[in-house]
Amino acid sequence: MKAPRLSAPVLLLTPAVIVLAAVVLVPLALSLYSSFTSFRLTRPASFFNVIWFDNYLSILTNWDFWVAFGRTVLLLTVALNLEMLLGLGLAMLVERATRGQRVLRTLMMFPMMFSPILVGFQFKFMFNDNVGVVNNALQSLGLTDAAIPWLIDGTLAFIAISIAEIWSSTSVFAILILAGLLAMPKEPIEAARVDGCTPWQTFRYVTWPFVMPFAYIAMTIRSLDVARAYDIVKIMTDGGPAGRTELLWTLVGRTAYGDARMGMANAMAYVSILLSIAFTYYFFRKLAAARTQIGAEW
Amino acid sequence: MATVSLTKLVKRYGNLEIVHGIDLEVADREFVALVGPSGCGKSTTLRMIAGLEEISGGEIRIGDRLVNNLPPRSRNIAMVFQSYALYPHMTVKENMGFSLKIAGRSAAEIEKRVAEAAAILGLEPLLERRPSQLSGGQRQRVAMGRAIVRDPDVFLFDEPLSNLDAKLRTQMRTEIKKLHAKVNATVIYVTHDQVEAMTLSDRIVIMRDGHIEQAGTPDEVFKRPATRYVAGFIGSPPMNLTDATVDDGKLVFANGSMLPLPTQFRNSVTAGAKVTLGLRPDDFYPSGHGLHSGEESAVHSDTLTVSLTEPLGNETLVFSAFDGRDWVGRMLNPKRLKGGERIRMSFDMSQAHLFDSATGKTLRVE
Repeated sequence: MKAPRLSAPVLLLTPAVIVLAAVVLVPLALSLYSSFTSFRLTRPASFFNVIWFDNYLSILTNWDFWVAFGRTVLLLTVALNLEMLLGLGLAMLVERATRGQRVLRTLMMFPMMFSPILVGFQFKFMFNDNVGVVNNALQSLGLTDAAIPWLIDGTLAFIAISIAEIWSSTSVFAILILAGLLAMPKEPIEAARVDGCTPWQTFRYVTWPFVMPFAYIAMTIRSLDVARAYDIVKIMTDGGPAGRTELLWTLVGRTAYGDARMGMANAMAYVSILLSIAFTYYFFRKLAAARTQIGAEW
Repeated sequence: MATVSLTKLVKRYGNLEIVHGIDLEVADREFVALVGPSGCGKSTTLRMIAGLEEISGGEIRIGDRLVNNLPPRSRNIAMVFQSYALYPHMTVKENMGFSLKIAGRSAAEIEKRVAEAAAILGLEPLLERRPSQLSGGQRQRVAMGRAIVRDPDVFLFDEPLSNLDAKLRTQMRTEIKKLHAKVNATVIYVTHDQVEAMTLSDRIVIMRDGHIEQAGTPDEVFKRPATRYVAGFIGSPPMNLTDATVDDGKLVFANGSMLPLPTQFRNSVTAGAKVTLGLRPDDFYPSGHGLHSGEESAVHSDTLTVSLTEPLGNETLVFSAFDGRDWVGRMLNPKRLKGGERIRMSFDMSQAHLFDSATGKTLRVE
């Protein structure tokens, strides 16, 4: 009796399927399954205790979760918009430079070269209410006598985190927008000048529509980045004080490893991912529209 | 509409002077072509008029307004670029109406003027398309539409047809000519194509190395080129040019061949003068296959060897060796010739040009 022969395509695809299954599909399926259980890391047996949608239902009524969700969306909005404005400004300045443009481009990327953990530590130090340079500078300039509790007050801590986030990632926007500016044909700008545009109008009606797709690419990349923000916050405030800077993923991390409630954490993670998917979808739509607009051939 | 006047106009990049103080008066509603090889400063001059390049010296006036320090938007000009320079994210309609929108005109007025311009240029079916959906010729037409809509004082064209294929170029050339007749505006048109310049303009300005060689009507620059350079630049195929020495009513060439000294130059040269003879292909033809424009007696003939022919159907270009180089002649009512054949060639010396060999200037006395 002959063993059944597999066809060549099946045979050739098998290794890839096995690898993918091992590293992606199985963990994904397990995590999805565990979100329907009361799985606690401290009690392995609970992995088999299926509770169906209980985790998801309790998330719906979990105020802390929705606050963290809202705060993450707020951070996304604030950070992305400011990064885009600053990145755009930076890109336009660098594009203007007639000499040393390469050096400037490299310098511009410096913040991206540091680990977010280190950026977190550095900003934690800078915003320290006693020894930090920020308070030190404010006091030396005579702007305030008080030691401003940057990382303790909820709002101030949110601002401090946003600043760290923006500092480390503005260059993503700057680089992509600069690429757009450099790729842009110069004649339409000249045509606009002849057509009667002031420099602002030239920017508004000609330059901006052209670099918009590039900004959207940066937006897509960065929205994924910020939606999973964890490291900088973990270091600077660890979601504290008293949960006042808790973001989605610091909450998920705490639930999973601090409280050992892995089932619940996985359920939260699945809900959080919806946020990332929503943003990515939104920006891809925008990008596609902007590309059609400028008749881009890429 | 307006006049344009350039006075001692200079453009420098650092220490490098590109335009060396040119003077030019463009009359109201005149179509002037700036023509010359690449790097002659014609585009730079146009861009200075547009305000896209700073002026290093001299003056530009549009009408009676000194515009040296005015930004392009305050000069009331319209420009058509070689690469069309359409706004890629706007439809044809928006492209054409853009300048009016910026000027704050009402939507109704914009609509009306765009419709008018579109009608002139036959763009009506394309108004909702984007530039990326148009062919080269259509894009060029939109670029012109964008200029007409503005009703500017001066139209500036920067090699508008260079990106089009030969057939389309001829077609658009005719359209530009019709357009000028219709809108009747002052036009400054930059091109490196002398045929475009000849066919379109009221006056041609031939530039070279940042100065003006000659400015005149197409007829003038063709019939009375002021310099050897202009003689060689204008006309296709180009004028035959050969150095010679004047000797007792004759022109003597390097290899000893001789031609009679054209009578029209008899009083302007002396024996021993080093000159350059110029004779257009129309005035150098196989005997019996061309027309002489002057006195019969001014036609000299000689037997030459045909080296090559280029049949064009209605005529044939005949290359034959004279003074050690191939001269091109135009054979009307052509018959077949073979390379190496000996034929009788006519030189219509009444149409000859003489230039000073050293300065390149014409020896014609007006």
